[in-house]
Amino acid sequence: MYSRLKFLGVASVALMLLAACGSSGNTPAAKTYKIGLVTDTGGLNDKSFNHLAYLGLQKAVTDFGIKGDVIESKTQDDYVPNLTNFATKGYDLVVGNGFFMQVSIGTVAGQFPNVKFAIIDGAGTDAKFNDLKLPNVMGLVFKEQEPGALVGVIAAMMEKTGKAPKNTHVISAVGGVSIPPVNHYLAGYKWAAVMEDPSAKVIIGYSNDFNDPAKCKGIAQSQIGKGAEFVFQVAGGCGVGALQAAGQAKVWSFGVDADQKDVDPSVAASALKKVDVAVYTAIKSVVKGSFVSGGNTFSLQNDGVGYQVDNLTLPADVKAEVDSVAAKIKAGTLTPPADIPPPV
Amino acid sequence: MAVPVGSVVFAFVVGGLIVAATGGNPFAAYQGLVCGGFGLACTGGENPALQISNTIVFLTPLITSGVAVALPFRAGLFNIGAEGQLLVGAIASTVIGVKFGGLPGPILLPLALLGGMVAGAVWAGIAGVLKATIGAHEVVTTIMLNYIAQWLLRYLIVGGPLQAPNGFSASAPIAPAARLATILPQDPTLVIFGLPASVFRLHYGLLIALVAAAIFAFLLWRTSLGYEIRAVGQSQRAARYAGVSVRRTIIVTMLIAGAFSGLAGAIQIVGVDHGLLDKYFTDTTGFDAIAVALLGLGSATGIVLASILFGALHAGGSVMQSDAGISGSLVQVLQALILFSIAANFLRMFRLRLPTIGRARPTPADAVRDVRAP
Repeated sequence: MYSRLKFLGVASVALMLLAACGSSGNTPAAKTYKIGLVTDTGGLNDKSFNHLAYLGLQKAVTDFGIKGDVIESKTQDDYVPNLTNFATKGYDLVVGNGFFMQVSIGTVAGQFPNVKFAIIDGAGTDAKFNDLKLPNVMGLVFKEQEPGALVGVIAAMMEKTGKAPKNTHVISAVGGVSIPPVNHYLAGYKWAAVMEDPSAKVIIGYSNDFNDPAKCKGIAQSQIGKGAEFVFQVAGGCGVGALQAAGQAKVWSFGVDADQKDVDPSVAASALKKVDVAVYTAIKSVVKGSFVSGGNTFSLQNDGVGYQVDNLTLPADVKAEVDSVAAKIKAGTLTPPADIPPPV
Repeated sequence: MAVPVGSVVFAFVVGGLIVAATGGNPFAAYQGLVCGGFGLACTGGENPALQISNTIVFLTPLITSGVAVALPFRAGLFNIGAEGQLLVGAIASTVIGVKFGGLPGPILLPLALLGGMVAGAVWAGIAGVLKATIGAHEVVTTIMLNYIAQWLLRYLIVGGPLQAPNGFSASAPIAPAARLATILPQDPTLVIFGLPASVFRLHYGLLIALVAAAIFAFLLWRTSLGYEIRAVGQSQRAARYAGVSVRRTIIVTMLIAGAFSGLAGAIQIVGVDHGLLDKYFTDTTGFDAIAVALLGLGSATGIVLASILFGALHAGGSVMQSDAGISGSLVQVLQALILFSIAANFLRMFRLRLPTIGRARPTPADAVRDVRAP
């Protein structure tokens, strides 16, 4: 497998070389771009956020013949050293994965103005989280409220049309930490559920953690105890515990970021946030010389987010409603809110 | 000496076998570790000075929190609470750095460090007083106090009074006057060792930690309090017979230990993080400190050496992954193996000694009576 990848890489470099020679005789030899990815503390095996970023990097390695390396952050203390590591070694693009890396990206990108940086879910900021608007930082952000709304429609339609296990009209969500990328999802979910089923009650809880499944499991169990029949996890590796809790209690759940069909049989559908597409796009912009600083938003419109039906076969009317809401959001006639009102 | 060195060698041999068994090259892996930890034998273009700077930043808090475990160990107390003491130290130092930001640096910085030490001392003192008065076991109380400190921190920066106005789980940054200087100037235009000087995060906290380690050694071996601590650790009955107040010694030992650990938290705040971040929810420095204290055999020099090893492992893991393609998780496996083999040696030591002292070994109930006896 690896040697085949390598062969593909060599082949594509050779092709690029040929193409370069064909277009203009004096182009310097094609350079092998070096791209470094720094994951968040969830690590590569989180089956979601960091895993997707790695897939994007691997796809770019295959397509563009670049050299792609990864460092997993073990703790948040590692962000700055890991980003600096790639920057000092002359990498062309350093991708930081995650909202929590914003300040570190801001610091390191300021010190290495000649290295390009990209950050998922944020921007390069100062210690007070103000965007520094650095010319070498590309921000990759998502309208998570859109996929959040789509799974919210599924849950509410199932309740409204009497196809949920007990039709309690109660659904829930487990968030990791109260930060914008998480709250976007929750806002869309709640908004869509109430829109479809005005009698729906949406319980929201936070685990204050992204890595420990036990914490999310406990929160999900308490929500299920209050009647929740659909549990939406928005907590990375921690949220796997919420999916398992739903499976044990024989209720449905929704996966997040990646297609989490195989994580637990209770996963009815997954709200997709295509981090792989975003990472690939950033790398492509560097390879093609079209890198621009500032924010890039991924939404339904550019297929940067979406939903995936998993272990629940959607009834035709539910499916039709989800697709109609998706089309309306895409057309701009429906706009899910980006933030939830703070808890009273 | 043989025990800790043997443990480390054992860990690296077994770790190498694990790497080889999973299809990696152990020599490339360890080359990456050495490069990342000490800036030696780098093949991937790393900057040696930067690697050394990173290692020192990681090892600095381990020295003082290692002392916070080693000192009570000498008095026969097992302080599992270094993490909680570190957290309250970090909280106190942040509060001072934010709320008294108007004070001039020469007053504010020592105040922030001192505040962290006092908070840590109070936190450990709770366990000390409980042990000395009602015989509550310090292992249990310090573990519980860790949780309380962690949830206190969560409350403070998630919706609580320290949360910065932007709504993220972080406190406002401390005032610039409260920050500990880096050893190299924070000037991005100045190029040192081929990199902008501001890249090097190495700060004066290292010197503070080394002085703290020296004070620990002096306290333990050159003062009457140190003598009392060691006497209590070897036999509470004998110490009492010699006129040492066991209760007082237990409380004072925990107070001092807490101050060392609180200092570790304060140094992290004023030297590196400049405010409370959500990383403190999952910080493990205070637990690594237990390994450092055990590996260092409870001596000041040993703790510094063990801290260097653990700091280098931490910094080296990243380079090992980027250069040799071997998951940085191997570092945690190595740390666990080191601990495992030290613990195994401890067991042997216990077994050898048990026949002689084992017979007269006090039950927990005896220990309580011992402490409370007049």
